[in-house]
Amino acid sequence: MINALFIYSLRGELIISKQAKSSAQKSMSEIFRVQVINNLDVRSPVLTLGSTTFHHIRTSGNLWLVAVSRSNADSAAIWEFLYKLNVLMEAYAIHSEEQLKEKFMVCYELLDIVLEDGVPIETELSSVAARMSEKPTVALDNLNMISEEFLSSASKIIPRPRLLRGKSSSFTSQDNFNGMSSTCSWRPSGIKYKKNEVFLDVNERISILVSHDGSILKSYVDGTVEIVTHLSGMPVCRFGLNDALSLNTPFSDAQDLEPNNDIKNKNAIPKAAAGSVILEDCKFHQCVHLDKFHSERIIKFIPPDGSFELMKYHVRENLNLPFKITPIVTIVKSNTVEYRVTLKSLFPSKLTAKDVQLRIPVPPETVDCNVSVSNGKCKFVPEDSALVWQFGKYQGLTENTLSAVTVPMKDSSINIQQWPRPPMSLKFEIMMFSNSGLVVRFFNVSEREQKYSTVKWIKYISKSGAYEIRY
Amino acid sequence: MSDQRLFSKYKAYEIKSELQQVNLKKHRISAVKRKNALKKIIANLTMGNFNEMALLFPDILKFWQIDDDVEVRRICHHYLVAMGPTKSAYLKDALQLVLKDLDSGTEEVRIMALRTLSSIPSTDYLNEAFKSVKSVLQSSASPRLKKTAIHAITKLDQSDHNRIWPLLNILRRLVDEIKEDSSVQAHALYVMYRIHEANEDMKMMTLERDTCFRMLEMLPALNEWDHSLVLESMITSYAPQTHSEAHHLIEIVLPQLQHVNTSVILNALKFIMYLINYVDYLQEGLIKRLSNSIVTLLNKPPELQFLVLRNVILLLLSREEPLLKVDVSYFFVEFNDPIYIKDTKLEILYLLAKHANLSQILQELKEYATDIDIQMSRKAIRAIGNLAVKLEHSASECVAVLLELLDFGVEYIVQEIVSVFKNILRKYPGQFESCVDKLVQFTDSVQEPESRSSMIWIITQHSSYLPNYLELFQIFSSNFQDETLEVQFSILNSSVKFFVRSPTEATEKLCVDILRYSTEKIDNPDLRDRAFMYWRLLSAAQQNNGLPLSIETVKDIVDGDLPLITLNTRLDPQVLEELELNIGSIASIYLKPVSQVFRLNKTKVLPKSPALNLDRDNIDIIADSSSTRSSSVVDLRFSAPSRTSSSPIKKMDDYDKPAEKVNSLKTKKRSSSSAVKLTRKPSVLARKLSMRRPFA
Repeated sequence: MINALFIYSLRGELIISKQAKSSAQKSMSEIFRVQVINNLDVRSPVLTLGSTTFHHIRTSGNLWLVAVSRSNADSAAIWEFLYKLNVLMEAYAIHSEEQLKEKFMVCYELLDIVLEDGVPIETELSSVAARMSEKPTVALDNLNMISEEFLSSASKIIPRPRLLRGKSSSFTSQDNFNGMSSTCSWRPSGIKYKKNEVFLDVNERISILVSHDGSILKSYVDGTVEIVTHLSGMPVCRFGLNDALSLNTPFSDAQDLEPNNDIKNKNAIPKAAAGSVILEDCKFHQCVHLDKFHSERIIKFIPPDGSFELMKYHVRENLNLPFKITPIVTIVKSNTVEYRVTLKSLFPSKLTAKDVQLRIPVPPETVDCNVSVSNGKCKFVPEDSALVWQFGKYQGLTENTLSAVTVPMKDSSINIQQWPRPPMSLKFEIMMFSNSGLVVRFFNVSEREQKYSTVKWIKYISKSGAYEIRY
Repeated sequence: MSDQRLFSKYKAYEIKSELQQVNLKKHRISAVKRKNALKKIIANLTMGNFNEMALLFPDILKFWQIDDDVEVRRICHHYLVAMGPTKSAYLKDALQLVLKDLDSGTEEVRIMALRTLSSIPSTDYLNEAFKSVKSVLQSSASPRLKKTAIHAITKLDQSDHNRIWPLLNILRRLVDEIKEDSSVQAHALYVMYRIHEANEDMKMMTLERDTCFRMLEMLPALNEWDHSLVLESMITSYAPQTHSEAHHLIEIVLPQLQHVNTSVILNALKFIMYLINYVDYLQEGLIKRLSNSIVTLLNKPPELQFLVLRNVILLLLSREEPLLKVDVSYFFVEFNDPIYIKDTKLEILYLLAKHANLSQILQELKEYATDIDIQMSRKAIRAIGNLAVKLEHSASECVAVLLELLDFGVEYIVQEIVSVFKNILRKYPGQFESCVDKLVQFTDSVQEPESRSSMIWIITQHSSYLPNYLELFQIFSSNFQDETLEVQFSILNSSVKFFVRSPTEATEKLCVDILRYSTEKIDNPDLRDRAFMYWRLLSAAQQNNGLPLSIETVKDIVDGDLPLITLNTRLDPQVLEELELNIGSIASIYLKPVSQVFRLNKTKVLPKSPALNLDRDNIDIIADSSSTRSSSVVDLRFSAPSRTSSSPIKKMDDYDKPAEKVNSLKTKKRSSSSAVKLTRKPSVLARKLSMRRPFA
C-alpha cells in the first residue's frame, strides 16, 4: 500500500525515509521536493507521476508527511494513516523539525510498529505505547486535545480537569486474559484504578450560511463525543442520547427511568432536554459494537484506556442558532462603505459565550475606518482588509450594535461596485450549550468481576464552524 | 562531543573514530555515545551520503555482534537494507547475523530479521526468507510475527514469483483455519488478494461462500485497519449466486458505514456498490443511509474531504439515477476551503444542477464568479455557461445571470463570459441573438486567445445582426501577424466566410489580404495549408471551367450549418463499472481507468453469476415497506413525520428571540487607528488642557 514514507522539514530537508530502496530514495524524494514543496501553487494534496503517487499532509509543526505508493492504493487508508501517525508522533513530543531530528530513531521505531510492509496494522496509542521502548511523553488523557487542536488549529484548548494517574494504573501480565485480549485488541487487560471516572465532552461545531435576504442557505452541526475513561478491568459501557430513534424503541425508555444524577448541569440545556434530536448520521470508534447499534440502536462498547473519540455525528434539523447577525451595508458615495451591524445572542441569558469575534470585510485600499460600537472592542486590520469586532465574554440574549464608515485611499483606483463582498464570519465558543440540542441521557458502566461505582463528568462545548453571513 | 548535530554530513573516518574511541570503555556513557555515532550514520543515509557511509560496513557488523541493545539492532538492520544491495561482499557475513537474530528471544528483533531477509534481493537471502516464512507460519508464533511473515510473502512474490505457490497454499490454509487469530486471517486474506491482483499469470482471487461469510462475521473482532483490509479483499472475490444472498451480504456490511475511519467506510461503500450489481431491487432507505454516511465524512480533514468529494462525483456519474441523494447545500463553497476542495465542490454543483434547484445553484455560482481567486471565478462562470448548455429548459435563467455578471465589467470575467457564450449561442441558434449586441461592446477587452476566437466566431455568425461587423472584425484582422495560432485560424476562417457570404470590395480585400499573408509570411504549415486550400477553392469556383463547383457549393463548404453541440459528462459505462470497484483508491481521485494510471494493477471486472444484473442503469428503487427486523428501524427514521427531506428555506428571523439587554451605540464615533487619533482638532485639545485642575 505505502511503498515508502518520507518526512520532510518545512523547507524540504528529508529527515525520515522509510522502506525506500537507496537507489530510488534520492530521485523520489527529490521529485516530491521539486514538485510540491518548492512549488508555490499546489492545487492538490495528491500527486501522481507515472504510476508513482505521493499523498501528503502538512502538520501543525510544519512537517511534511508523505506516503509514496506505486500501485492503485487505498487513498482513504493512506490519509487516515498519515493523520494517525501525526497524532502518535505528537504523543511522543515529536512536533517540530528540531524535535524530529533529535528523536528520529523513536520515529523509526513507531513506524516499525504501526506499519507492516506499508500496510497500517495498529495505530491506537494505548496499544502502540505498550510495544514501544519509550513511554509517550504526553499523557494518554491529553491526546485528544492534540488531535483536536490539529484539526482546528485556530481554536483554543480548554483545559480538562486533570487527574493524577500515577501508579494507580498498572499493566499486569497479559497471560491471564489471553482469551479476552484477542477479542478486544484496543484494551490490554488488568488495568486498575483507585478511583473510577469517566469524562464526557460533547463538542459541536455549527456551520451556517445566510444569504443577503436573511434566508439560511445551509445549516448543520458536526459534533463529536470525546471520552476519557479511567476504569478498571474490562468494563462494558452503555451510552444513550436523546436521539429521536432510540427514544422510540421501548428498550431505552426503560433506561430513562434510571436516575442520572451524576451528569451535572443538565439544566443548562433548556430547550433540548425536552425534545429529541434527529441524527443524520453518526460514526463510531472501532470499539463500539456496530451491529448492535444497527439493529437495536444501542451504543455499547469496551473503551480503550485513556482518551478517545467515541463518536462523530451530524445534525441538520431543529438547530439552536446561537447568534443572529443583521448587517446593513450601504455604499454611500464613491468609495465609502457604511456598515451598521447588529449582533444578537439567542442562547439563554444564564450562559455566556467567550472569544466572540466577528470579522467584517472592508473593500481593499481602505486606509482606515471610523467605528463606534455599543460594547466590545473593534479594530481595523489593514493587512486582512477587515474589521475585527471582539468580545472576551458575551452574555446570552444580548444585543450589540456596530456602526462604521470606511475611509478609502485618496486616489483609490478600485471600483467599489466590483468589490466581491466576502461574507462576514463569526467565531465563538459557548460552554454548556448544544447547538443541535443533543443531550447525553445516560452512561452506564458495568464490569463483570469487579463492582465499582463510577464518577461521571460531562461537558458541552459549542463552537463555530463556518458561520458566514452575506450582505 | 557526542551531542554534535546528528543531521549534518560526516566523513566516514569521523564517525569511525568516534565509534572506536568509545569502544574502549564499557561504561553506560560510552554506550550512549556509540549509539549517537550510529544514529549519525542513519541520518547521513537519509541525506544521501551513501559513498562515505558504505565504508562503515565492517564497523556496523562488529557492533552487531557485540551489542544486544534493540535500538542498535534497529540501526544495523536499517543500514543493511539500505547498503546491502550495493556492497554484496559483506552480505554473506551479515546473513549469519540476521539468521541469529531470527532465532533471538525478542519478538521485535525477530520481526526485524524477517523483514530484512525478505527485502534484500540476493539469492542467499531469498532462500533463507522462503524457508523462515514457511516455518514461522506453520509454527505457533505470536500473531505479530505471523503478520510480518505474511507480508514478507508480498515482497518474495515480487522477487521470485515462481516459487510462491507453496506459500500461497499456506496462506489459504491460514484463512480457512478457524482457530487462527482473526487479525492474522485478515492479513493473510489481503496478501493473497494483492498477489492475485499483481501477477499477470493469475486470475483474481475467488473465495468460497462459507469463507466469505465467515470473514465478514469476523469483522467486529478486528481493529479498524484489518476491517478495511477484509472489506477490500472481498471485492470481486465472491459473486453472490442469488439476489437474496446479495441482500443478505449488504445487511451484514451496512453497520460498517458507522465506523469512524474513512477507509472502512469507503471500503464498505465500495462493497455495497459492488453487491448492488447483484440485487433485483433497492430500498430507498439504503440510499439515504449511504448518502448520510457520505455527508458526515465531509467533516474530516481537507485531504480526506477531497477524496470523499471526488468519490461523490463518481457516484453521481455512475448511474443514470444516482444512488446518492445529498442536499445541494453541502457542496456550497466555504470561504476557508482549500482550492482543491473549492474546485471539486464546483464540479459537484454542476452535476447536481436540475431544473428544480437551479435558482439556488445559480445564486451560489454568481457569488463565486466574483470571488477573489481568479481561477475560482473563471470556473464558476464556465460552470454557469455549461449549465446553460446542459439544461435546455433553464438556459434563459443562466444567460440572465451571465449578462448580469457582464455588467460587473472586470476583464477576466468578461473574457470568460465571451468564451462560454460561444457555446450557448451555438447550442440555441436564434434564441439569444439579442445578447450579441451587448457582447460585442466588449470587443476591446478580450485578450486571451480563447475568448478572442470566441468573439470572432460570435461576430462572424451574427454578422447579419451587426451592421458594423467589418469594423468590429478589423480589430482582430488588422493585427493578424501578432495573434496566436488559434486566433489566426479563426480570423482566416471568418474572413473567407465574410467574402463567400457577400462578395463586396471590402470583404474581398480583407479575404485576399489575409490569404496572402497566411500563405507568404506564416511559418506554420497547418495555417499555410489551410489558407492555400481556401484560396484554391475560391479560385476554382470563380474560374468555373467545367468543374461542377458553384459558388453555392463553396458557401456550403465554408459556411455550412454547424452540428448542434451536446455536453458529454458521462463516462464510458465500462469505465464507470470499473471505477465503482475502486472507490476510495487513487484511481477514484482521477476518475480514470486503473490500467491507464497503474501498470501493476489489474482491471477489476464483475464476476459472472446468475444474479448479475446486465443493465446497470435499471434497478428498481422501492420505498421502504419491507418488514425485516433491522430495516424497520431504519424505516422509522426516514418516515418520521417531523422529517422533511427537502425542508423549505428558513429565514434567520425564524430563530429570532427578544433580547433581554440591548446595548445601544454611543453617539460619538471613535476612530480605530492611532494615526487618526493624533490628528485631533485643536479645539478638542484645548478643551482637554483646560479641564486640568490648576496647581494647588
